[in-house]
Amino acid sequence: MILECKDLERALRTPELMPDMRAHAEGCTACREQLHLWSEISRVAPRLHEEWESPFLWQRIRANLDSEAPRPRLFWRRWTLAAAAVAALAALLIQPWRTRGPQGRELLTEGALVEVQRAEAAYAQSIERLSALAAKDLDRSVTPLAAAYREKLQVLNSAIADLKANADANRYNTYLRAELASLYRQKQETLQEWLRNENAKTNRN
Amino acid sequence: MPKKKRMVGASQLALSNRLQASEYSNEADLLAACRRRDVAALEQLYLTHAARLKSIAFHILRNRQDAEDAVQETFVKLYRGIEGFMGQANIGTWLCRIVINASYDLARKRQRTEEVVSLHSRDERLPLKVVLDDALRRINPRRRMVFLLFEVEGLRHSEIAAILEIPEGTSKAWLFEAKQELKQLLMETPR
Repeated sequence: MILECKDLERALRTPELMPDMRAHAEGCTACREQLHLWSEISRVAPRLHEEWESPFLWQRIRANLDSEAPRPRLFWRRWTLAAAAVAALAALLIQPWRTRGPQGRELLTEGALVEVQRAEAAYAQSIERLSALAAKDLDRSVTPLAAAYREKLQVLNSAIADLKANADANRYNTYLRAELASLYRQKQETLQEWLRNENAKTNRN
Repeated sequence: MPKKKRMVGASQLALSNRLQASEYSNEADLLAACRRRDVAALEQLYLTHAARLKSIAFHILRNRQDAEDAVQETFVKLYRGIEGFMGQANIGTWLCRIVINASYDLARKRQRTEEVVSLHSRDERLPLKVVLDDALRRINPRRRMVFLLFEVEGLRHSEIAAILEIPEGTSKAWLFEAKQELKQLLMETPR
């Protein structure tokens, strides 16, 4: 088939006509240039693909997705915190530990109280034994470290004495008992820490 | 130029290694994990499609930072709307559609009008890539998008039809018209 310049567009749309169009273009500069450009466009186009490194893009997306995620736990945590705050405020205002007698029994039953006091006494005795063990070196030592331990134990003893007096006055109050236990635990850990340090020093020597 | 090619090659190698290590054997598994809001699955999607999405966004916004913002928005939209994606199309196709819409939204929001400076008046001879890029910015936007997706990003007409929600025949026709326009503009530009 013999094609002319006016057939160029039709040939570009119809691949079957291209061989004949190319044959025409061999002798036609204008058509040759147009055919060349047509193929060049498709050849060069993939180079327009823009690629660059984005080292922080995924982190940004991730942060966004995290903020999008449903947070039922957070919702409940907020309510729990709010409820705890209200309870703490109510406790402060009512001060149940100042009440004596039958009302206090709502916090700790008589049987439970006896059990707690027995355990507490045993715990206090074991800590006293530990204290006596540590006292030998602790009282003698003139190092700044020993002074710091002595000071810390003094503070703890004082706090324990205050809280114990308070707990004895509010015998059924579980909160005060728990606080007291926590102070005993701190004292025990402090004494054990001192003894560990002393043992390590002796072994080094 | 060779430097860029090496960089792209390296990142593609890294990508293929990560894909090989993927725990998702097919797209259905990956999609199911995405529906469970599995971040690892979403990262997998990101690793597979981010390069193309960034390039598409760049050609709309003409700015890398804005293009990254559009890709970020794309993943947020995907996360929000994954339940609505019924797998009627390839997930990559769906992501392309989202990034195109996100890019146009961003362009409108930032009211950044693209300044098209014609290269006609310049008399220096420019590489064809530069001239083509300039010409592409000046053609009909719908045709430009088809050209971009087909010739630049290598998508098939069936995929472009799904992304742009047009018949496949329209995609082919717009591509032809885009090339005609570009050819005309290139002939008018001194090179």
